[in-house]
This record gives sequence, C-alpha cells and structure tokens, in this order.
Amino acid sequence: MNGKTFGIKAGVIASSVVLALLAATAQAKEPRTPVQAEDEWNALMAAVKKGDDLWHNGKLGTNGLACGNCHPDGSASNPHTWPKFQTNLGKVGTLREMINWCIAVPMQGKPLPLDSDDMIAMEAYATYTHRGVAIAPAKDEQHGAVPVVSGPGYPTAGGH
Amino acid sequence: MKTISRRQFLGITTKMTAATAFAGTFAPSATSFFGLGGIAHAATKKITPFTFAILTDAHLYDIKDHKFDAFLEKGVADINSMNPLPDFVLYAGDIGQSGKDSELKKGKAILDKLKVKYRVIPGEHDWYLDMGKSWKGHFGNETWSFDHKGVHFIGMNSILVPDFWTMAGLTPEERMGRMEELECHNCGLWGVGSAQLEWLAKDVKNISRDTPVVILTHSPLWNYYPRWNFQTVDAPEIREILRKFEKVIAIHGHVHQVVYNQIGNISSAGLLSTSWPWPYPPVELPYPHLKMNRVDPGNFEDGLGSHAVNLAADFMGTLNYREFAHLLPENVRRGLKL
Repeated sequence: MNGKTFGIKAGVIASSVVLALLAATAQAKEPRTPVQAEDEWNALMAAVKKGDDLWHNGKLGTNGLACGNCHPDGSASNPHTWPKFQTNLGKVGTLREMINWCIAVPMQGKPLPLDSDDMIAMEAYATYTHRGVAIAPAKDEQHGAVPVVSGPGYPTAGGH
Repeated sequence: MKTISRRQFLGITTKMTAATAFAGTFAPSATSFFGLGGIAHAATKKITPFTFAILTDAHLYDIKDHKFDAFLEKGVADINSMNPLPDFVLYAGDIGQSGKDSELKKGKAILDKLKVKYRVIPGEHDWYLDMGKSWKGHFGNETWSFDHKGVHFIGMNSILVPDFWTMAGLTPEERMGRMEELECHNCGLWGVGSAQLEWLAKDVKNISRDTPVVILTHSPLWNYYPRWNFQTVDAPEIREILRKFEKVIAIHGHVHQVVYNQIGNISSAGLLSTSWPWPYPPVELPYPHLKMNRVDPGNFEDGLGSHAVNLAADFMGTLNYREFAHLLPENVRRGLKL
C-alpha cells in the first residue's frame, strides 16, 4: 500500500513538474530571429571596429605609441589567458587592467575607466582577434592573433 | 594566381621562377644544382676578414626627447665602443615613424655621431609621406652597391607597393598613416619592383660567381608572414638573379626580432630594432630554435639591440646580436652562423 500510495504521489509530483516545465517553455523567450541575430552581430563588429581604431590610432598615449606598435592584429595580448597573475600589475588582474597598464606605462597616457565603452571595445578587438583559441588561464606562452580574413597575403608552406 | 600575375607584371619568365622554386625547396646550393662544381658552400673567393655593424628600425617620432631617440643613441654609442671599430655600419630602414623630415633629420644627426661611415636603405615608415623625397635628400640613392675587402655589398629599397592612394583620394598623411600600421588591410604587398630588378641584374652581371655577396633589404627575401609584409613580393626574382653566386648573406630589418632562414645559396637573418620588438607571427618558423625569448613589457630595452657581423676569410659569417637587455637564449647569444 505504502508503495502504491508513494507511487501515486510520485506520479502526481512528476506530472506537476512536467506541467511546470511545459508552462515555463511556453513562456520562454523566442529564439532570435535572423534579423535580431544580425543586428547583435553587427553591434559586436562595431565594437571590434572601434577597438581596432583605438588600438592603432595612438590617441590613447602621449608619446605617439599605440597598442598596435607592439601588438599587431592584437597578437601577444593573449586575451585567452586572463585573469592571471601579471608581474607588471603585481597581482591577479584582468585584460582590461593590463590594457590600462600599457596605456599608462609604455604609452604614457591616461588609463580608461574599466567599464567604459572604449575599454569594452578594446577588449572586444583583442578577443575577436583570438577567436577560437582555447581558454588557458595564465598560460605562459605568447600567442599570435588568429589568421585574419582581410589583408594583403598569407604565408605559404616552406617560406618561399 | 596572385604569384603568376605578379611575375607577369615583372616580366620574369615562368621558367626562371620554376627553377627558383626547385632550388629553394630541394637544392642545397645553386652550384650543386647546376653541377658547376664543388660541395655546397665550398670556398668562395678568399676575403680579408673584417667586421661591420648594423642598426635598424629606430622609428623616431617628431617629439622632443622621445625614449626612442635615446635607444638609437645607445645603439650608436655601442658601435662606437667596439674595439676595434667595425669597418662601417649598415642601416636597414625605418629611421622615422611617420616619414617626417624632422624625424629623418633627427635620425641623421644621431647616426652622424658614428665614428665610421654608414650606408642606409629606406623602410616604409621613411617613405610614404612624400614618397621618399626627404629621405633621398638626407641619405641619397636608395639602391646601391659597393665592394669592400673582396665582398660585394648590395642595398635595395624593398618597400614599394602598388598605388592604393590615388583612386582612394588619400592625402599624403592618410597614405602614410595606413602604411604605418603593420597589419594595414589595404596597402598591399611590397617589393623592389621591375626597375630595381633590372638594376640588380646589371649590377651583378660581370661579377664572378665565387665572389661573396651581402644584400641588405628592409624586408625578408622570403615569404615569412605576408600579412605583416614580412616578405618581399619579388624575392623569388631577386634570389634567381643571385643564384649564380656560391654564397649570399641576406640581412633585413622590419621584423624587430631574431629570425633565420636558408634558401638555396642564400642565408637570411632578421635584426633587432632600437624601438620595440614584434611578437612572432602565428606561423611555423623554419628554424624555431633560432628565436628570441618572450619580452618583458616593463623593460623598454627588452628585445632591442645593435649588431655586428664578422666575416672570416672563407666568408663564414657570424651575426652577433648586441642586445640592450638580457633576453636572448644562449644559442643565439653565441652568434648566428650565416
């Protein structure tokens, strides 16, 4: 009896859960339409483009240097390795904090607010140039940017 | 397809380029390929041993007391401290950052402190504001050759790109601004062009094949990473013209890093800058054991340096990277064999 009663109760509970899930599903947000997806992608690409400009135009520093002087295509910014302990920061820090260190020290400029649109754009650019690279916290290896889709040329096997 | 159209543009025959590709891939030297004698890198004409020094890529800004001024000064002082002094100094391009006359003038004033004579070739940063006018005013012809103690030295301008600015209606400043960016998306691949190829062919025409040759260009004479113009588009044609020689040493700036390659009879080495180091691009290096360590961004002298090349009587060359900070692995610090 007990078993049956438990069985009935369990059945009722299970049915309730299924109904609740169905209700939740019915109320869930619709998947993005292709138009929405494109708009969101374009918004990201606009941030990447803005970050690309800031990365290269030298306006963040006072001595003419830009991030791109030492980090062409975002290479060696290693966005897949942050947060990590960074000697120049003296603590576990973020990519944004390292970007600010580079602005302040080698470029002799004024650091950006960490949550500013400009800083987010810089992070978007650095991360986009490393899309597909596996996350590897504190990996002690410099990583080049992934091969880009635009540009004048590509390497050939054997260096000829 | 791109390669073929380029060669058609330059008027070089398919036969020649096919031979170059073969030599580059398989043949240990031009002489063995042709069966003209000897073992690869057998004795060239004996020379009087000597040393020359090299500086490159100062990227001076039109800003008073900029840190890069001090780094070029340091390179000059280092070379002046060599005992004995080198016979001369070669400069492999990019004295200025934005091609301004003030930058080139400042660079010349610093280089004029060298105790020995020097020869210069241009880089893209020297050139695209006024298409080399200021540079030529300060340093003369960008294409040259001379003979020294039995070695034939050649300097060429390897940073010439097809016109991307006229149709786009760019100002000189905008043109220069695009060229200043290493990863410029629409500047195109650069090279020496057909006029300099003709000049080179004439220059070496009457020089015997056992003459040791050193060639200086801003960019590598091999296809390293075209995305950053770590290449010279007509390098195959240059290598073809120089293939008759038993041994050629090619030295280039632009890459701001230790890098080495060997194609056929040509050994090729990259140089340290006196401004900033470039990271290695995401490609496999032909000689991965010959590279510098990762730099510390907090040490502004990391990855910078001057250079000395010692040439022995049999034209064995040793490139010594005279690093400003302690960065190089031991095998590179001992000197690159060229």
